[in-house]
Amino acid sequence: MMPPLASRLLGPLRVLPFLLPVSAALAQTDTSALQWLQRIYAATQKLSYTGVFVYQQGQQVETSRITHVVEASGPRERLETLDGTPREIIRTRDQVVCYLPASMTVKIDKQSGTRMFPAILPERLKELSENYNIRKGDVERVGGYDCQVIILEPRDRMRYGHRLWADLNTGMLLKAKTFDEKNEMLEQFSFTQLQIGGAIGREQLKARFSRASRDWRVEDSGAIRANLAEAGWTIRSSPPGFRTVTELLRTLGGTSGVGHIVLSDGLAAVSVFIQPAKSKQAASQPGLVRQGAINVYMRPVGDHWITVVGEAPPESVKYIADAVEYRK
Amino acid sequence: MREKLSALVDGELRSSDLHTHLVRLRTDLELRGAWSTYHLIGDALRGHFGPEIIDRVVERLRDEPTLVAPRSVPFKRLSWYAMSAAAGFAAVVLVVWTASPIWNAPEISGSSVASGATGTAGSVTILAPGAPSAEAKPPVTSAEVENYLLAHHPFSPTSAMQGIAPYARTVAAGRGTERK
Repeated sequence: MMPPLASRLLGPLRVLPFLLPVSAALAQTDTSALQWLQRIYAATQKLSYTGVFVYQQGQQVETSRITHVVEASGPRERLETLDGTPREIIRTRDQVVCYLPASMTVKIDKQSGTRMFPAILPERLKELSENYNIRKGDVERVGGYDCQVIILEPRDRMRYGHRLWADLNTGMLLKAKTFDEKNEMLEQFSFTQLQIGGAIGREQLKARFSRASRDWRVEDSGAIRANLAEAGWTIRSSPPGFRTVTELLRTLGGTSGVGHIVLSDGLAAVSVFIQPAKSKQAASQPGLVRQGAINVYMRPVGDHWITVVGEAPPESVKYIADAVEYRK
Repeated sequence: MREKLSALVDGELRSSDLHTHLVRLRTDLELRGAWSTYHLIGDALRGHFGPEIIDRVVERLRDEPTLVAPRSVPFKRLSWYAMSAAAGFAAVVLVVWTASPIWNAPEISGSSVASGATGTAGSVTILAPGAPSAEAKPPVTSAEVENYLLAHHPFSPTSAMQGIAPYARTVAAGRGTERK
């Protein structure tokens, strides 16, 4: 059957945004909006704050308390859930510890020799504006703060759109929404109450379960940098604007030697996990799982399963998963 | 012991056993609780609910607070679209490229145009069209998704802008396992 005329004519146009000269793309981006992004990044690193925070996706709402304090040794952050079973996550410069009292498990993710939490550097910002049209919106109030709205519109359908609300005075990000290509909201992060600066007690940062967890099961990621291409694993091609950022080997859910490749377009990141197939997966079919802006696509390659996880549209994660190859 | 109790409730216990069990029943609190529960179940099965029980249920319901605040919804955290779904979304690529109005396409499909345009349309020929299926068994559990998210987040530039906040997603994914 022939494609309808409109499709045949418009089909090539859909690819056009990728071909736009970078200079033209940059011309559309408001440089003061880019500066705002940098301001937000700097605020996240430098400010001390504590507040109540809501994550919403679909019908699901999770309320947490978040405290971030910058100490001489670096930033220290704590997230404690306020709904349902308690959970706690402590993040420091190079480590994330997650306490799960329900399963009496401590999960530790420590990365030696790798930069965790990528910085938003000026050269990355330029890259960002090649993939998104970035501009300033209005000033709106969130949690009692007057905020500058920053709009990031994707230049193609391989990434999602974002709307950010940053405090006019400090640059602190108070609210973030992610939208799909139909401009429907996928998820929202928002502070409902926030104290920036001022006295924040040290006890607010203490892991509540650090004592209780002494005899819990510990799962350590033991992540190390690796060259997966040498081992035969490569990604044939990635969606426009995405490039490989890092390659690791880690332990994941009790399985050691799991390959982990991270790709990013400057804002969204997609992780590729490569691990030996489990027996229960033998009869499974490739497929997609989604939660808010996160899509997970899995498919087998030989006797391995490829799992691609990221805050990117289904076609992006599927594209990347389909491009994973093993050649030895 | 519970089996014996069930037999006792149903009047099927031999008289030699009867005495021992009646003594146990008199002394064992837990067993006594089970005894009344079994009777209640029996009554319910036979439709023998006295009006006083119905009244009590209605009264309890009346006293239950009405929840107006948003609450975490324990179901449908992770929607699974298995191959049939992927096929669905490939099928839609097919649909989009061949004919037929887009609005007939399954929900996930609308966005498939891009995959067609960027070169994955090749997969269309391999995949058979099908509708998204929620029943197909995913090769991944919510606990595993939680692990993937924990491993993924440190590398996401959004973490650089939002600090620890995106980890709320990990929590949300993990909830699925807790409630199972």
